Formats: sequence, C-alpha cells, structure tokens
Amino acid sequence: MISFIVFFTFAAIAVIFALVVVLHRNAVVGALSLVACFFALAVMYVLLEAPFLAVLQIIIYAGAIMVLFLFVIMLLNLQHREEPATRPIQQFLGYAGSAFFGIALVYYLAKYAVLQAPSTPFLSDARRVGVTLFQAYVFPFEAVSILLLAAIVGALVLSGRSTAVSS
Amino acid sequence: MSQIPTHWFLILSAVLFAIGVCGVLTRKNGITIFMCIELMVNAVNLTFVAYARQFHQMHGLIFVFFIMAIAAAEAAVGLAIFISLFHHRETIDVDEANLMRW
Amino acid sequence: MIDWVDVGLSVLKIAVILLFMLNVTPIMVWVERRGSALIQDRPGPNRVGPFGLFQSLADALKFLMKEDVVPAQAHKWLYTIAPAFGLIPAMTTIAVVPWGRTFRLPGGRLFEPIIADVGVGILLIFALASLAVYGVTIAGWSSSNKFSLFGGVRASAQMISYELSLTLAAVSALMVAGSLRLTDVVWRQTGYFVLFDTLKWPAWNVFSPAMWISFVIFSVSAFAETNRLPFDFAEAEAELVDGYHTEYSSMKFALFFMAEYMSMATMSAVVVTLYLGGWDIPWYNEPPTALGFVLSALMFVAKVSFLLFVFVWVRWTIPRLKYDLLMRLGWKVFLPLAVVNIVIVAFFIMRGWL
Repeated sequence: MISFIVFFTFAAIAVIFALVVVLHRNAVVGALSLVACFFALAVMYVLLEAPFLAVLQIIIYAGAIMVLFLFVIMLLNLQHREEPATRPIQQFLGYAGSAFFGIALVYYLAKYAVLQAPSTPFLSDARRVGVTLFQAYVFPFEAVSILLLAAIVGALVLSGRSTAVSS
Repeated sequence: MSQIPTHWFLILSAVLFAIGVCGVLTRKNGITIFMCIELMVNAVNLTFVAYARQFHQMHGLIFVFFIMAIAAAEAAVGLAIFISLFHHRETIDVDEANLMRW
Repeated sequence: MIDWVDVGLSVLKIAVILLFMLNVTPIMVWVERRGSALIQDRPGPNRVGPFGLFQSLADALKFLMKEDVVPAQAHKWLYTIAPAFGLIPAMTTIAVVPWGRTFRLPGGRLFEPIIADVGVGILLIFALASLAVYGVTIAGWSSSNKFSLFGGVRASAQMISYELSLTLAAVSALMVAGSLRLTDVVWRQTGYFVLFDTLKWPAWNVFSPAMWISFVIFSVSAFAETNRLPFDFAEAEAELVDGYHTEYSSMKFALFFMAEYMSMATMSAVVVTLYLGGWDIPWYNEPPTALGFVLSALMFVAKVSFLLFVFVWVRWTIPRLKYDLLMRLGWKVFLPLAVVNIVIVAFFIMRGWL
C-alpha cells in the first residue's frame, strides 16, 4: 500500500518537474528541475528493486552531469539573455505532435503491454551487478573506459579558449 | 516492493519521453534542448529497469549502467560543442547555427 | 500488517540522531571559538555565562532577530532554497551510519542502532555529498554578485574534484569488508590483528599497513568536501569578502553555518566508521546487551568528538593553499594515490593478509 503512495507521489513529482524543464524560460531553473526529476526517477528505481542503480543515478546524473550543465549555463552567463519566443507555428506543431505521440504511446502500452509484477524478489545488489559486469560484459566495460577517455580529450580540445573564472 | 504492476512504470516512462520530445521540438535554447534529450534517455533507462525487474534479468541493469556512462560522455562533449559555438556566435539560440542551410 | 513497535523504534532512533545533529552546531560554535582562542593564546568568549558557554545561545538569538536582507536582483526562489541544498545532505547521510552495537531487547527483538541499514550503505553518503555541490553553486549564482559567483564556482569545482579521491579512498575500506553496508565494515573492524603471536591489536582499518594511506586521503578529502580550512575557498575571508554567502543574512546565513558544522559531524562519523573502528571499544568484547550498546554509543560519540576537535585544530593551524596547488593536489596526487591504494589492498586481500 505504501509503495503505491510512494509511486504516485514520485511519478507526479517526476512529471511536474519534467514539464517545468520544458516550459520555463530560465535555463538554471530548468536544470534544477531536471535534478529533482532525476531524484524522483531514482526513487522509481528503488521501487523496481534496483537500489544500486538508484544511487548510481544520483551520483552520476544528479551529482556530476547536471553540475556540468549548471557550470556551463552559469559561466556562459546565459541567464541575462532571455530566449526569444519560438515561432507560433513551430510551437503549435511541437506541442500537438508530441502530445499525439505521447497519447498514442500510452494508449498502446495500456492496451498491449499489461504486465503484472513478478512474485519473486529481484536480487540486484552491487555484488551481482559487478559479477555480471566483469564476466559477461568485460569487453564493453573496457571499451566504455576508452570512450570516456576520448570524450575527455574531445571536450578539452573543443572548449578551446578557457572561460574559467578561477585565478 | 513487488506489488506495483510493471506497465505503470512503462506508462510513466512513455509520458516522460513524450515530454522530452515536446521540449526538443519547441525550445530554442540549445542547452535546454540538451536537457530534454537527457530526459528522454532517462525515460528509456526506466523502461530498461522495469523490464529487468519483470523478467529477472541482470542485463537490463548492465545496459542502464552503460547508458549512464555514455550519457555522461555525451554531455561533456555536447557542452564543449555548445561552448565553442557560443565563442563564435555569442548566442546559444540553435536557430542561429544556420551556416549549412541551403 | 504494520509493525508498530518497529515504527516506534525507528522514530526513537530518528529523534536521537536529530537531537545529536541539531546540537552539534551550538556546541561546535563554542568549541571553535574557545579552541581557536586556546591556539592563538587569547581568552576567547568568556562573558556570556561561565567560560562563555552561553555564547551559542546569544548567537542564535542574534540570528533570529537580525533583519533578513535580500539583494534586489537576486533570484527569489533559488536564493531562498540554496541553504537547503547544503543542509539536506548533512542531515540525511547520518542515517546510514551505525552508532552503537546491535543488542537484544527484552522482548527478543534485535535493536539495530542505525536508521536505515540499506544494502548500498556508503553509496548513499556519496550520492548525497554530491548534492552539497548544488548548495554552493546556487548560492553563489543567485546572489547576483560577482564575488559570490566566483566563490561559488571555485568552491564547487574544488568539491567535485575531491569527491573522486573521497570515493576511491573509501573503496579500499569497503573491499576489505566485502560489502557496501557500513555495519559490515564496522563488524570487520571488531577483530584483532595478532602481532608477533602475542600482542592483540584492534583491527581498525587505520592500523592496517595497506589502508593508512587511504585514511589520510579520505580525511583530507573530507576537509575539502566540507569547505574547511585549508580548503575553504568558499569562504576565503580577505579574498572574496565572504565568498558564496556574502549576500546572506540572519537565518539563511545561520542555515549555511549549521550545514557546515553538520556536514563536519557527518564526515567525522563516516571517517570513524570506515577507518577508526566505528563503535568498537578496543580490547573489550561488548556484550549484546543494553550496557554494551550504551558503552559502544559513548565510544562512537567520543571518537567523533575527537575528530571534530581535529577539524577545529587544523583550521587554526594550517594556512590556506593556493587554488591551483589545491587542484593539483586533488587531481595529480590524491587520485593516483587512491587508485594505487586500491591495487595494494586488492593484492593484500588476494594473498590473504587482510
């Protein structure tokens, strides 16, 4: 019973803050709303019996990626530039198209993808994730580390002229 | 813990994905579009974890792990691209990045 | 259906921890001011009550009655919730730290003095410590003051850099325990190292030859995470006016203050749990009774208090590092050392020495 209350509360939080991201003009408020949305999603992962992934979501997404977003927004000093309004036809087509897409998706999911929760608990602690990662997925793991190295080098090269405000 | 039907999570994920699509199509600020893309990626992550729990497969969780790592790399490089765009054009408005238009 | 005794015990545990955390700030304010006076050879506050003990009360009254000045161009909402980002991690991460020995209540029920014994224990601490970066950044940005922004950006860059060495240094203590739960980490340290076949030495992680380096790295990174000297670029008096909380007054400033002392207490608790044996009393086998629990809880509080005093001691002894030296220390010294330490601990575990 409590899990239903938690699910509905945090699903509502996730949807509301996602709407704030999409609709608010200010980029910093949008970034912080996305952080709140990620927290709500982390609670969803806990409800789905994956607590390890929930804390990983907070550490990686809310704790690192969104901090990067916030730094870029603040250092580029974007809050003083108000974004010009989108053309009305693009707004209308965007809202209508995505609403139609969303409604169609939800309708077909509710009709064809009804799945009851499994009765046995899902054991997914850090040990099992680590075992699977290092046995079946060791090559993608190493490949992702090289990819991250490429991303670091790429980001450094692309940023070029430094805009850091530190001494 | 195990009482919530899985399709509710799938519906939540679909709603978040549609909201992300709306943001990408409607906004002009490049960084906001990027944040809506991250929202879509997270909606897909939720789908993966929901199915992983449904079929008791560890592979869904591993996939989400890799998606998070790659999304981090993508965020870093994408923001670096935005920074260099900003240095050249003094604007983040994606409509201004139109040098390749016919 | 709902186990009311369980709920009642949880509420009791939360009340005890909340009491402890909320009282840390006034006590630490007094310790800081008298301790700094001791180190600097001056009397310190001695007017408000015997030995200045009521100074914290006077400070609290002052904060309550001061005018709350909000800069005109500050972003209203973000300016108001920024202190919360610092306070929430400080108050919630203490929920996964075990503060006493598990003992058996008269009804046969087991009382575990830890609010949330989740399977991913320490990762929750790291996750919520990542939240603290937002407090500093948003406070600096929303004040619409260049110096606050500089202070906030510098401090948050420092915090995310030292989060890496914090996490990697803690991994070595977790490898030895073989589990992410902090209760397992503490139980692992209740054993003994047998030296020269006669002397039994408590098996705290700090005494292990493979892990004292990570103890040093973790402690120094804890200083950096809580923005205490020698890493306090957030405040940096005489450089940036008051850093990211220049524009804050009265209650919001008091909240930042409280958040700093509470995160000091939380970090000390985590250091004690990971490296200094948690609630373990050396050379004494605590019985699983109420007496054992009380003694172990007192021992835990004593260890945390000692570490808090070390925080104060270091603040008034060591000068502030230059910012680029600080970043160099974090990335080029601590990060490789922490990784090497993981390899060393893995080697020790493989050979069975740990």
